[in-house]
Amino acid sequence: MSGGRRWREVLVSLAFCGPAIALYLGFVILPAVLGFAYGLTDWSGWSGGGRGADLWALGGALARFDFGAARAAAEAFLGARFVGLTNYAALARDTTFADFSGWGAFRRSALGFTLFETVLIVAAFTFGSLVLAVLLDRVKKATGLVRGLFFYPFVLSLLVSSLLFLYLGNYREGAVNKLLEWVGLGAWRQDWIMSPTWAPWTIFALMVWTCTGFYTTIYLANLQAIPEELYEAACLDGAGPVAVFRAIQLPLVMPTVLTNSVLALINGINLFGQVVVMTHGGPGTQTYTLGYYIYHLGRLNNQQGYASAMSFVVFVLLAAIAIAQAALLRRKQVQL
Amino acid sequence: MTRRRRRFPLYDAVLLLVGLVFVSPVALALLNSLKTNAQIIAAPLALPHPPTTESYHFIFAGMHLARPMVNSLLMSLAVIGAMITLGPMAAYGLNRRRMASAPFWRGFLLLGLTIPFQAIMIPLVKLFLIVGLANTYLALWLHYVSWGLPLCIFIYSAFIVTVPVALEEAAAIDGCGPFRLFWRIIFPLLAPCTLTVVIFWGLWIWNDFIQAFVIMGPGRGQLAFVQMYAFMQDQYVKNWSHLFAGSVVLSLPITVVYVAMQRQVVKGLTAGAVK
Repeated sequence: MSGGRRWREVLVSLAFCGPAIALYLGFVILPAVLGFAYGLTDWSGWSGGGRGADLWALGGALARFDFGAARAAAEAFLGARFVGLTNYAALARDTTFADFSGWGAFRRSALGFTLFETVLIVAAFTFGSLVLAVLLDRVKKATGLVRGLFFYPFVLSLLVSSLLFLYLGNYREGAVNKLLEWVGLGAWRQDWIMSPTWAPWTIFALMVWTCTGFYTTIYLANLQAIPEELYEAACLDGAGPVAVFRAIQLPLVMPTVLTNSVLALINGINLFGQVVVMTHGGPGTQTYTLGYYIYHLGRLNNQQGYASAMSFVVFVLLAAIAIAQAALLRRKQVQL
Repeated sequence: MTRRRRRFPLYDAVLLLVGLVFVSPVALALLNSLKTNAQIIAAPLALPHPPTTESYHFIFAGMHLARPMVNSLLMSLAVIGAMITLGPMAAYGLNRRRMASAPFWRGFLLLGLTIPFQAIMIPLVKLFLIVGLANTYLALWLHYVSWGLPLCIFIYSAFIVTVPVALEEAAAIDGCGPFRLFWRIIFPLLAPCTLTVVIFWGLWIWNDFIQAFVIMGPGRGQLAFVQMYAFMQDQYVKNWSHLFAGSVVLSLPITVVYVAMQRQVVKGLTAGAVK
C-alpha cells in the first residue's frame, strides 16, 4: 500500500471515529481528570482560573523540567492552590461522609446509608424481580398488558415518580395517611418522608416501584429463552411449580442473576435523584447518599475541591465494580 | 401442552389486578389533577366532584410549560440527531475499519459506561465556565451527547459485528467509497438499532431534569421538567393539583409512545443491560 493511500485510510478512520472520541475525551474524560486535579486543591469558588496562557505556561515549564513554575502555572490555571492529600485526609475524618463509631452512626453517614440502600436494592432486584418474573412468565392471557403495567413506572420521569411518592407519603395530606385514617388505623400514621425511621424505606419503595419493571423484563427475556420441551418433560415427571423453578428455571437464569445484581449494585451506589426530589438528604443528613453529598457540596459553593476529592473516590469505587463485572462476564462467556 | 391446560384464567386475572394496583399511584395523580387542591386534601381518593380543569389552565398560564416543552422536544431531537450519526459512524470505524488503536478505544469507551454523573458534574460545570459556555443549551447538548455516546456506540457495535463483511467487500470492489459504503449500505441495515437509540435518548432527554438543572443552573434551563422542578422548589406549600396536572401533561407524550410501541420501548430501555 502506498504512503499516500495509507494516510487517506487513516484520515477516513479519523473522520468516522474522531468526532465521537473527541467529544468523549473533552466532556467526559477531561472533567474526570480535572476532578482528580481539583481534588488535590483548596478550590472553593466557581470564578477564577481557566486562562489559556496559564495552560501554555504549564506546558513550557514541564518541557523545561521546571516543576516549581509548573506548579505555579497549574495553580493559576485551576484557580486554586494545591494542598496535597488534605482533602482525602479530611474525607476520612468527615462523619457525614463515613462514621465508623457505631452501627447506627454508620447507617446515618452518607457511605453507610448508600450501602444500606444498595443492599436492599440488590436484594430486591436480584430475588424479588426473579419471583415476579417467574409469576409473570406463567401469564398467558393479555401478557403484553400485564407486563406493560409493571414496566410503566420505569418510563416515567424521575421527577414524576418521586413527586408521586412525595405526595403519597406526606404526613398531613398524603394519601397513605388519609387511607390509614379512613380504615380506622389512624394510629399508624407516619411522616413517611421526613421521619428518620421511615425515610430510608420510602426511598427504597420508590426505587422498587420505578425499577421493578426493568429488572423483571431482563429476567423474563431469559425465562422466555428456556425451551418448552424442558417444561414438558418436567410435567411428565409430575413436577410442581416449585420443583420446576428449582430444577429448571433457577439454574438457567443464573447468568441473568449476575447481570441484574451488578446493575442493581451500580444503581444503588448511584442513588441520587430520588433523594434530591424527595428528602433533600433529610431529616438532617440522614438520607445523604454519596451522590447527594457531592451535589450538596457543589451547590454550597465553597468546598468544590473537597467535593471533587469525594467524586474521585466514588469514581474509583464504581470503576472497580465495573472491572470486576467485566472479569465476571468474561468468565461467564467462557462457560457458555 | 400440558403446561397451558393447568393454567386457569383466574391466575392471569389476579396478576392483572396486581399490575393495576401497582400503577394505581399514576391513576391517582390523573384523578387528582382534575380536582382543586382543597378537594385533594379533603378527599384524596374520591372522584372529582365536580371535575375541574383549572390546574391544566394553570400549568400553561402560571407554570409557563408550553415553551419549555418545545425546548425539551428540540433538545431531544438535537441529541438524537448527533447520536444516530456520530454513534454508528464511530461503532463502524472501531469495529470494521483497519485501525491499530481500535481495541484500545473500545475499552476506553467502555470505561465511560461506568462513570457516574455525580463524579464529573462539578468539574464539568467548571469546564463549561472556562470555555465560556456556562448556562447555555449548547453546553447541555455537548454534555448529553458526550455522556451518551459510549452507550450508543456500545449498542451499535453489538449490531455492527453481525453485519456480514462480504457485503462491504462486494461494494468496495464495485468502487464504492468508504462514506458512501457506510451511509448507503451499512446505515440502512442498522435501522432496528437506530430505532432503539432514538427511543432511549428521546425518552431520556425528555425525562431528565437533574443533569439539565445542574449544568444550566436553576431558572436558566428552560426545559420542561426543569421548569416544573424549579416551580416545585419555589412552593413552600405544595399545590398538588398543579403538580399533578404538570406531571400528566409532561408524561402524556411518553405514555402515548409507550402504549403505541411498547415492545420497542421496552427493548430500547433495556438495550444497554441485556447485552
